[in-house]
Amino acid sequence: MTAAASTSGSAAPRRGRGFLAPTILPGFGTAFGFTLFYLCLIVLIPLGHMVLVAAGVGWTKFWAITLAPRVLHAFYISFGCALVAALVNAVFGLIVAWVLVRYRFPGRRIIDAMVDLPFALPTSVAGIALTAIYAPNGWVGAFAKAAGFKIAFTPIGIVIALVFVGLPFIVRTVEPVLQDLDAEVEEAAASLGATRWQTFTKVLLPAILPALLTGIALAFARGVGEYGSVIFIAGNIPAVSEIVPLLIVARLEQYDYAGATVIATAMLGLSFLMLLGINFLQRWTRSRHAR
Amino acid sequence: MPADPHSRRPAVGEGPLTRVALIGLAILFLAAFLALPLAAVFSQALAKGVGAFMKGLTDPDALQAVKLTLTVALIAVPLNLVFGVAASWAIAKFQFQGKSLLLALIDLPFSVSPVISGLVYVLLFGLHGSLGPWLRDQGVQIIFAVPGVVLATVFVTFPFVARELIPLMQEQGVEDEEAAIVLGASGWQTFRLVTLPNIRWGLLYGVLLCNARAMGEFGAVSVVSGHIRGKTNTMPLHVEILYNEYNFVAAFAVASLLALLALVTLAAKAALEWRFADQIAAAKR
Amino acid sequence: MAIEIRNVEKTFGAFTALGGVSLDVRSGELLALLGPSGSGKTTLLRIIAGLDHADAGEVSFDGQDTRDRAARDRQVGFVFQHYALFRHMTVFDNVAFGLRVKRKAERPAEMDIRRRVDQLLTMVQLSHLATRYPSQLSGGQRQRVALARALAIEPKVLLLDEPFGALDAKVRKDLRKWLRHLHDDMNITSIFVTHDQEEALELADRVVVMNHGQIIQVGTPTEVYDTPADSFVFDFLGGVNRLNGVVDRGVARLDGHPVRVDGEVGAEGPALIYVRPHQVELGVAPADGVPEGKWSARVSMVHAAGPVARVELDLAGRALEAQLSRDRLSDLALEVGSWCTVDFRHARVFPAKA
Repeated sequence: MTAAASTSGSAAPRRGRGFLAPTILPGFGTAFGFTLFYLCLIVLIPLGHMVLVAAGVGWTKFWAITLAPRVLHAFYISFGCALVAALVNAVFGLIVAWVLVRYRFPGRRIIDAMVDLPFALPTSVAGIALTAIYAPNGWVGAFAKAAGFKIAFTPIGIVIALVFVGLPFIVRTVEPVLQDLDAEVEEAAASLGATRWQTFTKVLLPAILPALLTGIALAFARGVGEYGSVIFIAGNIPAVSEIVPLLIVARLEQYDYAGATVIATAMLGLSFLMLLGINFLQRWTRSRHAR
Repeated sequence: MPADPHSRRPAVGEGPLTRVALIGLAILFLAAFLALPLAAVFSQALAKGVGAFMKGLTDPDALQAVKLTLTVALIAVPLNLVFGVAASWAIAKFQFQGKSLLLALIDLPFSVSPVISGLVYVLLFGLHGSLGPWLRDQGVQIIFAVPGVVLATVFVTFPFVARELIPLMQEQGVEDEEAAIVLGASGWQTFRLVTLPNIRWGLLYGVLLCNARAMGEFGAVSVVSGHIRGKTNTMPLHVEILYNEYNFVAAFAVASLLALLALVTLAAKAALEWRFADQIAAAKR
Repeated sequence: MAIEIRNVEKTFGAFTALGGVSLDVRSGELLALLGPSGSGKTTLLRIIAGLDHADAGEVSFDGQDTRDRAARDRQVGFVFQHYALFRHMTVFDNVAFGLRVKRKAERPAEMDIRRRVDQLLTMVQLSHLATRYPSQLSGGQRQRVALARALAIEPKVLLLDEPFGALDAKVRKDLRKWLRHLHDDMNITSIFVTHDQEEALELADRVVVMNHGQIIQVGTPTEVYDTPADSFVFDFLGGVNRLNGVVDRGVARLDGHPVRVDGEVGAEGPALIYVRPHQVELGVAPADGVPEGKWSARVSMVHAAGPVARVELDLAGRALEAQLSRDRLSDLALEVGSWCTVDFRHARVFPAKA
């Protein structure tokens, strides 16, 4: 809309003109200085310090800790469950977003507001509530028990908790894209002879896909690090349903600071890679869809 | 072309059967994953009657936890509010090199596991941490004390306000501010009389989300608090302790209070989006 | 293919977009739907394409009712105002889309699809851009891709919604000419919607003038321009001078002088005299008064840039615009403040609204 929206992007054409582009607005020094100071104090120094501590452990020990079977399995559980949950959410989150954007039906507003519940509900509350439902004596767990399998205290339980936590990420990333889709494009497909399903798979899905992938990545990243909603339902059985964040806490409680730090740093590294991936995805989306 | 929401079946779109099936599927999924847990919280809290529920809530440790949660939020939210305004002023109103890097760094706490957010402070200020011995000699305790809880909360809620304000202020541009400056307003006057009215609803929106997370944070706080009953226990932590002691009614009673807070937050958020959609629109994109 | 439209009605809430419209579209003609925004022209186009349902009335293609034929089964090529290109597909894939979504039994082999798309891209002069994405094209190029895409399904009728609306003036003119040639080559029944009278008059075989959900007049460009059905059409089809006069005993008069009028003079009493600027004739004012039957006016402004000069005049307190050639202007030696005589070659009289 405004000119600023287009000029505020990152790589502004300011090469060779110094750090700050000329402006008549005051307050940059104060605002920028405070931002940087606060960012360093709260985030960068503590995080950097942790990485330094991990580096101090030494290369050999670092790998010895991360490659221990119990740790590897925890990584496998954390990443595997987060991926499965993100994919489940991709399907249902897309349906929820589609329904919320495209259809008008009674209760839509309430449902729309409820989608953000996982953002607003404290994770420990979600954790004990899900456990109460899926434990063998719970509402759903009892059915599962009768059918001969367990949900809580297995990786299935972890996936359920992560589906809960990740849902809004998918819905809220896909929603605006669905909203911005040009109705004319669907009409064009229809007038060219496409069926509804062809229109969805060939025209709509490719347009939604970048946002969907971003949403999956966000839900996945959140799921990997999730702690509160998972620990109750997971049962935390080593090499079965133990997640990485819990392992970190366990090491810390045993005063194994080196172990906790190394595992945390390895996880942070992986999170960074994912963050890079998300950034790349977003850039790709924008370049592809720039009008 | 005026669009008509009440028109009969549109010529292009899904058939009525597909619509009903999709709506049904979405509602079923949300009922199973969102409504059911919420129902579980309240039904478990009242499983042994109102008396047991009230007893869980009025327990001195529970009251202490409520007080601590409010205190922590009261410190963390204003801090991040000031930061959010400063950061969005610098980022949205000026062009400078390295802006995208700064944006990525502000988002960093979102992609860090809450457990790690707590751990980084333990490693700095804990008894075995780098600054621990020195702090002990000064008689200052941060880890396993309230300052640690505040720090961890500030960390995890760090990006919330900035995240809402930056896109909003970018969309609004700099013309209003430039006009004010040209008309002779001072920087502070410009901010107070021009910028602030433009962003107030977005600001409130960010504060709301920030507050919800601050009061509900569990993982990061859990690592730094030491779980000292009646001292460093916030409500989410108190829920865990009670639950682990098999005191389910009390655990769910406190949890229901937090769930209520979540519902109020959602209602307020929905109301803001409903009334001031255009003024927080950029943030929603 | 011929299209018959009978008593089509469409309302959106309280707004009547079409209030019972009937129209015959002849096979192979290029028809313009012309009207201001909100006149219902786009709604009519969308109903023909099957993108909207009519509330009442029927649309038939070659005598067959289309009510139960969905948009995808109508074989209608539709070019959208903003082109509606598929952003994630290359130009080639956009054009091939309609062929690739055909039922298996009807779908051409990939080889044939390639050949057909190449042909179409050559025709719209975009072969060299086949692998580009829509975002990498100019407005005029996108327009031509949209056209090629619509033509790929060998439509029986081509519908274009404001085909040049989003283009700048220069590109618009070129595309207009090009589209006319294309239509002459292909001979597909084509209907385009526009609010630009110049575009409709220059391009179409016949022009349908619409207002407030009604068809006001149908005719060739010459017919609608020279004999507009009412004051709205007269007004809409070009610049006009509206002068307050009277009809007195069957003669239209302006300031007492009789006005030469085409067609009906209408009821007695106050009347509006409509004169196009190029029908205003200016003459040198003689030194000894004004000749009988003519008016005199004072020049208030002369715009002499371009092939045609525009002169703004003050005719007894009324603003009057005249258009004349540059040569004529210099013959008359008119300048601001000078006087001249005024006469009207053609004028129409419509009753003054109360």
